Amino acid sequence: MNGSIEVKNLSKTFKKGNVKAVRDVSFSVKEGEFFAFLGPNGAGKSTTVQILTTLINATGGEAAVAGHDVIREPEKVRRYIGVALQETGVDPDLTGRELIELQANIFGFSKDRAKERAVELLEIVQLTESAERRIGNYSGGMRRRLDLALTLVNEPKILFLDEPTTGLDPSNRMAIWKELQRLNEEKGTTIFLTTQYLEEADSLAHRISIINHGEIVATGTPKELKAQIGSDLVTLTFISDIDSGTAEDILKRQMGASEVIRQSEKLTVYVKDGAKQLLEIVRILDGEGIEIETVNLSSPTLDDIFLKITNDQEVETHGE
Amino acid sequence: MGNSIWKDTWLITARSIKTTLRNPFSFIPNLMISAFFLLVYEGGLSGISQLPTFEGANYLAFILPVSIVSAAIGGAGGAGQGIVKDIENGFFSRLLLTPASRLAIVLGPIIAGMLQLFIQTLLIIGIGYLLGLEVATGFGGILFVLMIAIGWGLAFAGYSAGVALRTKNAQAAQAGTFIFFPLIFLSTTFVPYELIDAQWLKIAATINPTTYIFESMRTVLIDGWIFWDLMQGVIAIVIACTITITFAALSAKKAVARG
Repeated sequence: MNGSIEVKNLSKTFKKGNVKAVRDVSFSVKEGEFFAFLGPNGAGKSTTVQILTTLINATGGEAAVAGHDVIREPEKVRRYIGVALQETGVDPDLTGRELIELQANIFGFSKDRAKERAVELLEIVQLTESAERRIGNYSGGMRRRLDLALTLVNEPKILFLDEPTTGLDPSNRMAIWKELQRLNEEKGTTIFLTTQYLEEADSLAHRISIINHGEIVATGTPKELKAQIGSDLVTLTFISDIDSGTAEDILKRQMGASEVIRQSEKLTVYVKDGAKQLLEIVRILDGEGIEIETVNLSSPTLDDIFLKITNDQEVETHGE
Repeated sequence: MGNSIWKDTWLITARSIKTTLRNPFSFIPNLMISAFFLLVYEGGLSGISQLPTFEGANYLAFILPVSIVSAAIGGAGGAGQGIVKDIENGFFSRLLLTPASRLAIVLGPIIAGMLQLFIQTLLIIGIGYLLGLEVATGFGGILFVLMIAIGWGLAFAGYSAGVALRTKNAQAAQAGTFIFFPLIFLSTTFVPYELIDAQWLKIAATINPTTYIFESMRTVLIDGWIFWDLMQGVIAIVIACTITITFAALSAKKAVARG
């Protein structure tokens, strides 16, 4: 047993509607690593989590979690993982304390040990004061925190968190971030997190895979991903989106399709050498008589990477 | 780490019992309706037991099985409701993510439902005694009635759990419990078969397995140990349980499968 995840050519096609939710996905996560799966809604993040946590079977490929095959040895996998799905899984008729104790008992803890564990975990997720209240009376944020406590009961080697902060207010989100970082740093827990928030992946994860339409389109450290798209970004705004459209056509002709992205009157151009090419862009557009409202030169953020990569995919798909 | 299937089943059952007790409105209405049947029908209809077809039988003993079956079906329906609630709350998935036995996860709410059924049936029989019930076969007869109630409840629990696991939806599971009405009322509910007037109702009563449950209970309550009259209830239970428990098992397999 170890805290790693190995995924090879994983695929999942749902019979209903013949939906290919995950297509030939491969990646590996080392023990102690904080890994993020970043992608928009419907990209295949949750399906991947459900396969890796033994809830559903893949239709192709293989995956090992904690050194055990998820299809052949699901019981072993379940012992070593903690899972927080997108929807919390709590029984509203029990109190917070009762639910944690039940979970601990199911994992084979003795009665006394289960009680101790409940005290510890309630403290960690700051629910000690609400421990004796029924979960039905908890707020959304409290339920999320309790759900996280439940995933930690068995001191998992690997934590799977499917969009753990979606819909949370900033203070609850920060509380969860902090706890995840602590677990990763102090306990060496491997973390597999999915998120739609670039900011979340950027500030938490050691390594990120970007997934879109069921495929991994890029993998790397936040730094590598930023470097991958060229060093600089030129952002131009125009007075109208007619101007930005014309400018887009002109620049695309000169610089290639994937390097220019238009969002209404805003254009983002990815360039290797910012200072030099900024002047060139301005000169070209000026020569065509297009009035530029603002120009900005910056280093890329994950948002930019995400925008560029998903845009590249669109271009490819439309080109097919 | 890890428990035996018995420990898992016990843990999950205990939790189902706890949540049932914390939601008294999940069982009080059914218990009231069952007691209501007994009181109202005994109070309003007991005069018809003067008819020669009743051969001098006590109407209370005649109507008691209706009340018991109502309580049993209601209690057993708790099994399906418990499962649907877990599925909708995401707690069912939470349990599937633990090493707990898959069988225990499904069995827990069913056992709790059966226990609820057992207690409701006992209470109804108790009310019957308070109203002056006399049983031809004495204590043994009451045990037989309890067994039939549990058997019939088990068949219904299989049905309700099966519907819950298949549809995973509270409305659908709720709609599934409406079978309660034809099961109870399209039968020899108020009068013996010979006194049913409408031909369609006679046909319905013949098809309805509850009729055989009523008859076997009435036999021990009123007439005594008449083997083949008792066996019709037992046979109805065996057939119904075979069908509904198979249905529940297949639905459960599908619900915990990873397709």
